[in-house]
Amino acid sequence: MRLHIKPALFSAAITLALSAILLGVRLTQVGTELKIIGADIDVIWKILAATALIFFYNLFREHIERTLGFLPHVNIPSRLRSIGTRKSIQRLFWCFIIAATLIFPLLGSRSQIDLATLVLIYIMLSLGLNIVVGLAGLLDLGYVGFYAVGAYTYALLSMYFGIGFWTGLVAAGIMAAFFGFILGFPVLRLRGDYLAIVTLGFGEIIRILLNNLTELTGGPRGIGGIPKPTFFNLEFSRRASENAQTFHQFFGIDFSSMHRVIFLYLLALILVLITIFVINRLIRMPIGRAWEAIREDEIASRALGLNPTHIKLNAFTIGATFAGFAGSFFAARQGFISPESFTFIESAIILAIVVLGGMGSQVGVILAAIAMTVLPEMAREFNEYRMLLFGLMMVLMMIWRPQGLLPMKRPHVELQQ
Amino acid sequence: MSKTNQRISKLFATIALAGITSYSLAAEPIKIALAGPVTGPVAQYGDMQSIGALMAIEQINKSGGVNGSMLEAVTYDDACDPKQAVAVANKIVNDDIRFVVGHLCSGSTQPAADIYEEEGILMITAASTTPELTQRGHTLIFRTIGLDTMQGPAAGKYVVEQLKPKRAAILHDKQQYGEGIATAVKSALDTAGIPVALFEGVTAGDKDFSALIAKMKKENIDFVYFGGYHPEMGMLLRQAAENKLEATFMGPEGVGNSDISAIAGEASEGMLVTLPKAFDADPKNAHLVEAFKAKNQDPRGAFVFPAYAAVQVMADAMTLSKSQDPEVLASTIRSNSFDTPTGVLEFDDKGDLKNFSFVVYEWHADGSKTALTNE
Amino acid sequence: MNEAFFYFLQQLLNGLTVGSTYALIAIGYTMVYGIIGMINFAHGEVYMIGCYVTFIALTGLAMLGLESVPLLILGAFILSIIVTSAYGYSIERVAYRPLRGSHRLIPLISAIGMSILLQNFVRVAQGARDIAMPSLVTGGVTLGNEASFHASLSYMQIIIFVTTLMAMIALSIFISRSRTGRACRACAEDIKMTGLLGINSNAIIGITFVIGAILAAVAGVLLSLYYGVVNPYIGFMAGLKAFTAAVLGGIGSIPGAVLGGLVLGVTEAMTSGYLSSQYKDVVAFALLIMILLLRPTGILGRPEVEKV
Repeated sequence: MRLHIKPALFSAAITLALSAILLGVRLTQVGTELKIIGADIDVIWKILAATALIFFYNLFREHIERTLGFLPHVNIPSRLRSIGTRKSIQRLFWCFIIAATLIFPLLGSRSQIDLATLVLIYIMLSLGLNIVVGLAGLLDLGYVGFYAVGAYTYALLSMYFGIGFWTGLVAAGIMAAFFGFILGFPVLRLRGDYLAIVTLGFGEIIRILLNNLTELTGGPRGIGGIPKPTFFNLEFSRRASENAQTFHQFFGIDFSSMHRVIFLYLLALILVLITIFVINRLIRMPIGRAWEAIREDEIASRALGLNPTHIKLNAFTIGATFAGFAGSFFAARQGFISPESFTFIESAIILAIVVLGGMGSQVGVILAAIAMTVLPEMAREFNEYRMLLFGLMMVLMMIWRPQGLLPMKRPHVELQQ
Repeated sequence: MSKTNQRISKLFATIALAGITSYSLAAEPIKIALAGPVTGPVAQYGDMQSIGALMAIEQINKSGGVNGSMLEAVTYDDACDPKQAVAVANKIVNDDIRFVVGHLCSGSTQPAADIYEEEGILMITAASTTPELTQRGHTLIFRTIGLDTMQGPAAGKYVVEQLKPKRAAILHDKQQYGEGIATAVKSALDTAGIPVALFEGVTAGDKDFSALIAKMKKENIDFVYFGGYHPEMGMLLRQAAENKLEATFMGPEGVGNSDISAIAGEASEGMLVTLPKAFDADPKNAHLVEAFKAKNQDPRGAFVFPAYAAVQVMADAMTLSKSQDPEVLASTIRSNSFDTPTGVLEFDDKGDLKNFSFVVYEWHADGSKTALTNE
Repeated sequence: MNEAFFYFLQQLLNGLTVGSTYALIAIGYTMVYGIIGMINFAHGEVYMIGCYVTFIALTGLAMLGLESVPLLILGAFILSIIVTSAYGYSIERVAYRPLRGSHRLIPLISAIGMSILLQNFVRVAQGARDIAMPSLVTGGVTLGNEASFHASLSYMQIIIFVTTLMAMIALSIFISRSRTGRACRACAEDIKMTGLLGINSNAIIGITFVIGAILAAVAGVLLSLYYGVVNPYIGFMAGLKAFTAAVLGGIGSIPGAVLGGLVLGVTEAMTSGYLSSQYKDVVAFALLIMILLLRPTGILGRPEVEKV
């Protein structure tokens, strides 16, 4: 057995440099003066212990790795995939999932249903971005811009023209698609990371404009009192507004605010199911094949007679449309929107969901959306360390499963031998 | 099992039973949700709110609670994110809590307030100053702090009557709070005919204002009002001093934080700031200040005493009405006055304080301040 | 020489100061991109850590009784370079090296995660409040007539220009003359081939990250001295701006990053000076988009050759 003294010393020194200063002392403002105070003695012990641990780990690296073997290799997806290929089982699986999501509101508590609604919004967003990033391979860092366009379209229409949710939903989709088209037109000739920064720029411009155009959008004050969705013109409120009837009056049941929470959830669920259905069809259509062809090899597909600009523009516009739908639904759920909900970090999280799920894979993206929304909620007890753990999880997930939770698999037929 | 053993286990069972009965005899604790940022960039303001509210709960419990029940705080973190605020509000509904002290940022208070109003939950905010919050006909939403629309005119009045600047610049941080106050100050100056040469937003979190300061220098600005928080104001003061822009700076309570002297150093000398009365300097509150200091907490934060008052108003209303029904409490709060560490509070129909006075202070480089106006 | 000219000059100087610091951070982005083709989103956080270490070093040394300003600054430089280098190296080793060869979006997400992680690590370790210290270097020179509007240039701004310039020269010499620099350039051309020729490409990539971190540390020290304020959230915006600067100049090109930084800084200052500061970012991004539409690979970027 060889001892790796040099690398071990090196790693130990690095560990010390990483932790000793930032953890070992703390800057504190005493009155108007800046002082540093040393950390507690046990923090210092921990730093030293970590350094020693790293040192000895690297010293006996070969030995430890031999005894431990490698980390157990988790391979659930392959099993899932083998199940997934059987059509009957696949259908059963989907039926089960849909049934479970339909029954959920009867079992879940109010905050769970509300959280589930939020998850569904993220699923819708991620499925939309999945078209752009996962299928067409265009890195879009400004996706939240279209989400904002959707949310503000509905909010502004309802504020100025008193338009209801359903019209607003359609208008938001159209408006976001329009923005996607307009912005996509000039930028799609850029490649790779240039496209990324330009989309990022557009996303920021949209947010800053919403913030600056105070006369129109209320600026940072945001827009409040956005009406909630209605069920065939039946409102979900204690008292009906003029010319309207409430849901509980119409059906002659007692008022419960749970009705609305459940209604919002079911509405989001239906929107997500429609999204999944539409995208599933699109993937199997020539346009979906063309997206992937462009992603795999742009030059080859051009040689085969595909028009890359058209195809990319399609992907961009359709992706934006779903963001618009999600945006208007978000506005309805919140009842109040302001530009601070549409920052870059939101784009980054949606992108992370798509990548974490396995680019292009719908089921993977849905799983990832659930994980990325529910985990931070569950980690609320960690309070101060919540975001720290969130970042750590993102890094570890990428290292653990770089291809995503459930990598995409093309629908295909295999010849039985 | 031997006889003695049996006897002992019987004894234990009796004790345990007695324990259970005595527990069920004591009234259930009244839970109060403290909703605000525990994490995120504005967590320090969330701290102010929670130490104030927790101190109030402690003091009230020490003196026997409310109608024989103890108060119990449950903390919820919305990170000042509107999306999370809605989730928090739903969680509070879900956890069956009927009383909320919070939220802090206006962007999260508004969507959350809609939910509380509908679910019959009493909410008192100690920090959200946006006028919109109480303009939508809600009945269960109150606040124990002044509005932007009160503070703006208070500052404007002083500027117009005392300072009489020749050319003013009004800046804000493009956030709800800052822009609201800045707009109010601007309209006060416009009415008085004082020329406002600049009305501009800066990016919150920005560090470099050199271009803006050069512009103000060129415009010969002698008075700058900044609607926003202390980090940007500190940088403005500091860079203005370095670039020799000779102007009087003024800001709302968001800049009146001891950190501003740390950031701006000597440059913070002479800054004007509108603040609520310094509740911690009130001799009446000396015992509370001691209690905060004993816990190593800073009682000077702008929201500490309003948060204390928020809890106390709730508790007093419960004592007065002998009820825990938020609707009853809301009408009790509207029709009575409450003696709190922030003064005698009365609420109007909208749920705002009838009178909440702001005092203009002159700030000093050592972090102290002197009052320039009377209350 | 009238007032308008000096006003323009003042805004130009302000813009160049900000731009120099963007440039220093942008080099870290551009070098990493040039070699392994990934956007290191965590780079802004390295700069933020550099700022914190500067604060700790300056305060600590001052508390130990060191009074000479140049020595204080030197100490801050040394300490923050050591620490940020360790961070730059470890980030690469932990978050990116295991992902070498996977789809290019994977390290990007890992980098965003790393950025969130570092930002919150510092927040937990040092608190979320703004930390401030008084200026160490004060005073400056005046350009133009004292009586009317005059441009002023502070000594600190001069130090920033000079240090940035020196760092650039040192880096160019290192890249073009030294053995390691040559290996870096070779890696940027073709990393596989370089490996076949007996160069330890992993080590070269590590060195690239360390160089980027050192420049971020330099920016951290300079900006800490200039602004005197730090909080855990400054890295994100600085990183975003520097990334924009790197792309503007042509990502992968070191002179491009410098030029991009300066153009971005001047654009921002001019927008604030002649238009309104609330449109500063809008104009900066709009400029970026315009330039990329005219030159899809940035001002100094090499046109990408499409390989079949």
